Amino acid sequence: MRVEHTDKAIGEEVLEATQSICPECRKTLQAELVAREGRVVLRKRCDVHGRFEALIYGDAERYREIQRYRKPGARPRELQTETLKGCPHDCGICPAHEQHTCLGIIEVNTACNLDCPVCFADSGTDPAHNGAGGFSLTLEQVESMLDHFVAAEGEPEAIQLSGGEPSIHQQILPMLAAAKSRGIKLVMLNTNGIRLARDPRFAPALAELGIHVYLQFDGFEDSTHIAIRGRRLQDEKLRALDRCAKAGVGVSLAAAIERGVNEHEIGEIVRFGVEHPTVTGVFFQPVSHAGRHPGFDPLERLTNSDVIDAIARQLPEWFREDDFVPVPCCSPSCRSATYALYGGGDLVPLPRLVDIDDYLDYVTNRAVPDLAIREALEGLFSASAAGGTDRAAARLECVACGVGLPDELQELAAKGFMIVVQDFQDPYTLDVRKLRRCCVSEIVPDGRLIPFCAYNSVGYREQVRAELAGVSPGPARGGSHERT
Amino acid sequence: MSGPEGVFDRLLPVGDAKTCCAALYESKAVEWLLDGQLHPGGEKLTLRLGELAGLRRGSRVLDVASGRGRTAQLLAYRFEVDVVGVELGSQSVAAAQASAAAAGLGSRLCFVEGDAEALPFEDQGFDLALCECSLCLFPGKRRAAAEMARVLRPDGVVAIADVTADAAALPAELQGAMARVACVADALPLEGYERLLREAGFEVVARERRDEALARMVQRAAARLRVVRMLPRAAGMTAEVTAALELMTHAEGAIERGELGYVLLVARRRGSAERSRRSNG
Repeated sequence: MRVEHTDKAIGEEVLEATQSICPECRKTLQAELVAREGRVVLRKRCDVHGRFEALIYGDAERYREIQRYRKPGARPRELQTETLKGCPHDCGICPAHEQHTCLGIIEVNTACNLDCPVCFADSGTDPAHNGAGGFSLTLEQVESMLDHFVAAEGEPEAIQLSGGEPSIHQQILPMLAAAKSRGIKLVMLNTNGIRLARDPRFAPALAELGIHVYLQFDGFEDSTHIAIRGRRLQDEKLRALDRCAKAGVGVSLAAAIERGVNEHEIGEIVRFGVEHPTVTGVFFQPVSHAGRHPGFDPLERLTNSDVIDAIARQLPEWFREDDFVPVPCCSPSCRSATYALYGGGDLVPLPRLVDIDDYLDYVTNRAVPDLAIREALEGLFSASAAGGTDRAAARLECVACGVGLPDELQELAAKGFMIVVQDFQDPYTLDVRKLRRCCVSEIVPDGRLIPFCAYNSVGYREQVRAELAGVSPGPARGGSHERT
Repeated sequence: MSGPEGVFDRLLPVGDAKTCCAALYESKAVEWLLDGQLHPGGEKLTLRLGELAGLRRGSRVLDVASGRGRTAQLLAYRFEVDVVGVELGSQSVAAAQASAAAAGLGSRLCFVEGDAEALPFEDQGFDLALCECSLCLFPGKRRAAAEMARVLRPDGVVAIADVTADAAALPAELQGAMARVACVADALPLEGYERLLREAGFEVVARERRDEALARMVQRAAARLRVVRMLPRAAGMTAEVTAALELMTHAEGAIERGELGYVLLVARRRGSAERSRRSNG
C-alpha cells in the first residue's frame, strides 16, 4: 500500500524523496525518508527482493532541526570518471558529485591480526585475506595513489592509512613517510593497536614521522571486546596508549558502538580520553552493516542522535545534547562534532563559549573538524582570524586586563578535546543525496576516489578486492619490488 | 572575605553604582566574559528592536547609554539612520567616536558624554529614543523616561530592550551590588516598564518576550568563567570565580521560573498621532 504524505492513522509523515539501492542486487531504487514514531526511517522496495526499511536518525524532531546546517559542497579540482549509469554507480569521482575529499583513505592490505565478528572491510588472519583472496599494496602503488589524491585536492587536508591492519604491512613506515612528504597536513594510521602494544620501536618510529594514531577503542569490558573484536584486548589497548604517550604520539580513539553491546560505555570512553595525556579526541561510529556483519536489524541500529543522547546522559556534568554541532560535510545527519576545553577536572564545550553559528563556515566542508575548530578557537582570540574586526582586536587586548587570555591560549589549546559522532552508510541506509556530498573517499590503485559509503555499500569494495587479489603479496622486507 | 564581586573588584575601579556600571562595561574582561555581547541576544535582537520600532532611512535616533557605540553603529549601518549616542563613561564616548570614524560612519554618528536622567539635548529633536539593556541600571528610571519623552518629537517612539525582574520572588543571592552590575537588582517586571512608559506619556505598541536570549547570555558567561578557572593565572581567584558561578546558577533558575527575563518594548507618545497628522496636513 502506498502511504500518503501524511497518514495520521499510523503516525507517519514523508519528509523527503531520495534514491537508494537494493541491498541484495544493488539496483538503484526510489526511496523515501519518513518520520515514524519520532524516528526517521528510510524505506524502499525492490521489484525482485521486496521491501527494506532502515533507521536513519533516532530523533525525528532533531533531524528536521539540523537540516538548516546543510550547505552546498566545495567541488574537487579534478574528476576521475564520467556519469554513465547514474549515482551511485559511476564513482571515482564523477561530475554528479557535489563535494571534494577532505579525508582520503588508503587500505594498504586485507590481512589482519584480529578476526572481528564485525568488519566492514571483511579482513582477518585467515590466509584467504593474506594470499589469493586478499591483497597487500606495494609502496609504489601507495605513492601513486597519494599522487592522485594530491592532484585531485591540491593541498589535501588529511589521509588515513587503513586495512586490514595496516601496522602489520612491512612497508607501513615508508608509506606513512610518503604521505608526509607530500605535504598532507594530517597523516593518520588507523590501527587496532596490537603492534603498538607489542613492538616497543613502533610508537617512537611514528613519533619521528609525525603520525597521528587513530586507535580502535570500543570500551573497557571484556564482553565488549569479545562481541566486537572477538577476544579480550584491554591490556593491549592500554599498553599501546602508554607507548604512544611516552613517545609523544597523539591519539584519537575510534569507538564502534553497537546497540546492546557497549552503549553504556560511551561516557566512560569520553572521560578516559579526556583524562589521558596523549588522547586528543574520540570518534564514535555507530556500527554499520556493510561487509561482515551477521544477524542484525536495520531498524534497531544506533544513530548519531542515540550516541549524542548517551554522552549527555552519561556525562551530564560535562555535556548537553546541543553541545554537538551537526557538521554540514558530508551531511548534518552523518556527522556531529564538538570541541571542548579541559582543565582542573572541569570540561567546557566550545559551543557554550560562542555563538557557534557565527563560526559554522570554519567547520563547513571538512571531514576532520579538529583543524577547523582549532582555527575557530584561535579566531576567538586573534585579530587575523575574525576578519580584523574590533571584536577580535579587543580580545587580543585582553592581555592588558586581569584575565589575560591570549597568553594562555597555547596551554588551553593543548587541552582541547574533540568528539566526533560519525554514522557511515550501509546498503540499507544509503541515501544518494547524502552520498553526493560525501567527503571521505577511498583512494583505489587506479587513481579513483570512491566515496567511502559508496565503497562499502554499492559493491566497489568487492570489485577492487577482486582486481587486486593475489596480485601482490607485498614486497619482501628491504627488498625491491617489481612494478606491475 | 571574598564574594562574587571580588572578581570584579580586581578588575574595576570602585565608585558609586552608576559610574561603576559604566566602568564595568568598559572592562575588556567583562566584554570577553560576555563574548562581546553587552546585552542579551546580541546584534540579532538589536536589529529586531530596530524593526519593531519601524526605523527608516534618515530617522534621527538617540541611543541612551550608548556604551562604546556598537549598537549605534549597527543601526546607522543597517537602517541608514543618524544616531546620537549619550553615555556616562568618558572613555566609552571617545572609543565610540573613534570606532565610528574608523568604520567610515563618522557623518551619521555622534557621541556625547551625559547623564540619561538629564539629557543634554533640546526638546523634540529625535524621532526615536532607544535604550538597550540600560534602563534597568538607572536609579532614576522615571526621570530617564521623562527625559526621553521630552527629547522626542510629538509622535516619537521609544524602543526599550531590558531585563525584567520580579523583585519579590528573586532569591536573596541575586540582590546586592554585584546583582546591580548584572542588570538584576534594579530591573522591573514587564508591567513595571509599561507603567513607567505610560506615566511618561507613552502608549505601548509592541512587546516581545525574549527570555531565552538572557538565559543563553548567562550560560555563556558561566561557561567562560569555568574557562577562566582553568587558567593558572586565575589560581588565586578560585573562590571568587566559584562564587560568581553560583550567582549565575541562581540567575538561570530564576529565568526558568520566570522571575527574570528579557523583553523588547516599543511605545509611542500618547495622542501624538492625531497631532502629527494635523501638523503634517
